[in-house]
Amino acid sequence: MIAEADRAPTADAAEADLVPGEGRGVLVYGVVDASSKVPAGLTGLDDAPVTSVRHGRVAAVVGEITLDRPPGRRAELVAYSTVLDTLAEAGAVAPVQFGSVLLDEQAVVEDLLAPNEDEFAELLVQLEGRTQFNLRATYLEEVVLTELVQTDPEIRELRELTRGLPEDAAYGERVRLGELVARALEERSGADADVLLDAITPLVAGCNVRPGGGADHVLDAALLVDDDRRDEVVDRLEGLAEAVHERMRLRLVGPVAPYDFVGGS
Amino acid sequence: MTVQTTQRRGGGYLERPKPSGLADVIEIILDKGIVIDVYVRVSLVGIELLTIDARIVIASVDTYLRFAEATNRLDLIEHGGGKPLDEFIGNMQESGASGKTKGAVEGVKRAITGGDDDDDDEERRRPARKSSSSRRRSESR
Repeated sequence: MIAEADRAPTADAAEADLVPGEGRGVLVYGVVDASSKVPAGLTGLDDAPVTSVRHGRVAAVVGEITLDRPPGRRAELVAYSTVLDTLAEAGAVAPVQFGSVLLDEQAVVEDLLAPNEDEFAELLVQLEGRTQFNLRATYLEEVVLTELVQTDPEIRELRELTRGLPEDAAYGERVRLGELVARALEERSGADADVLLDAITPLVAGCNVRPGGGADHVLDAALLVDDDRRDEVVDRLEGLAEAVHERMRLRLVGPVAPYDFVGGS
Repeated sequence: MTVQTTQRRGGGYLERPKPSGLADVIEIILDKGIVIDVYVRVSLVGIELLTIDARIVIASVDTYLRFAEATNRLDLIEHGGGKPLDEFIGNMQESGASGKTKGAVEGVKRAITGGDDDDDDEERRRPARKSSSSRRRSESR
């Protein structure tokens, strides 16, 4: 972080110098193969037409954007993901981080595409014929808590001890009960997540387990799925969802662009 | 691997929402994608912080108290009765048996039965009463 701080002023200066007079820049959505065609009529942020800028074997998918603007809001996030998901339906696309703006198309070529052409081309080969699905498994909280009460004697005892009492009584016991429940939930969700992963990872080309939050969290994973195995994956998940439906929900979002599989830092 | 891939399509247990909600989109894209060097880019359109849900920190006294409350509020209901997953488990064993897989299989069994091996548990003799789940759903968000 100290090194970052040293560099910060330079970076600010560089950014300021680069801002063009008319306050417009080029937003980069993603990188595609040079032979890819952007679907006609596709628009992105600010309803600006989405076009591509080619260099060698790769191309950046871009749109014009005004620079002086508040942080991204709903419509902008949705527009960005819509552009990328639309591109992903047509072929391999490597998403670029939301909101990345370059000076102009020349900068896109010189600063982004030319220095990284080989890397991007290789990445696109890996992504060819694949899209991302996001899988989330959550507990039905009441069901899993009941399991804990029924299987853990200490939890059961503390529950019996505290449940009839007013809220401000037995504070220490309540905290202890909650702590035991939290720990047991974490352990249980870890094991259940492994079950799901063991069932699904043999069918997918990539899997990125995302950190979870929330009491009902079991698993949040991005799956990179071969197009010709998509049905198989969905079938497997449907089978899993049915098998666990009394205590878990499985939710599958996609296909979306392979946001988790572009090696972003 | 090919045993049960035909009959489960459209079973309806797997939720397949469109990623249209803001929360969905943020979760999908947040901190993802190729990062363009700060020296190169003109600016980075940020994501409005207000739109990002704070993740629940699991290890806090407040969380513990909420869990305690939720646990105390339970009307213990009878679970189990899930369909056997032998076919599924068989598949998983075929596709790479290991110690982990074995543990995983037990996990699936537990997933089906509700995780209770002790049928004599006195709590389970209570009449099954399903209580509304809406209250806890709203709390956990």
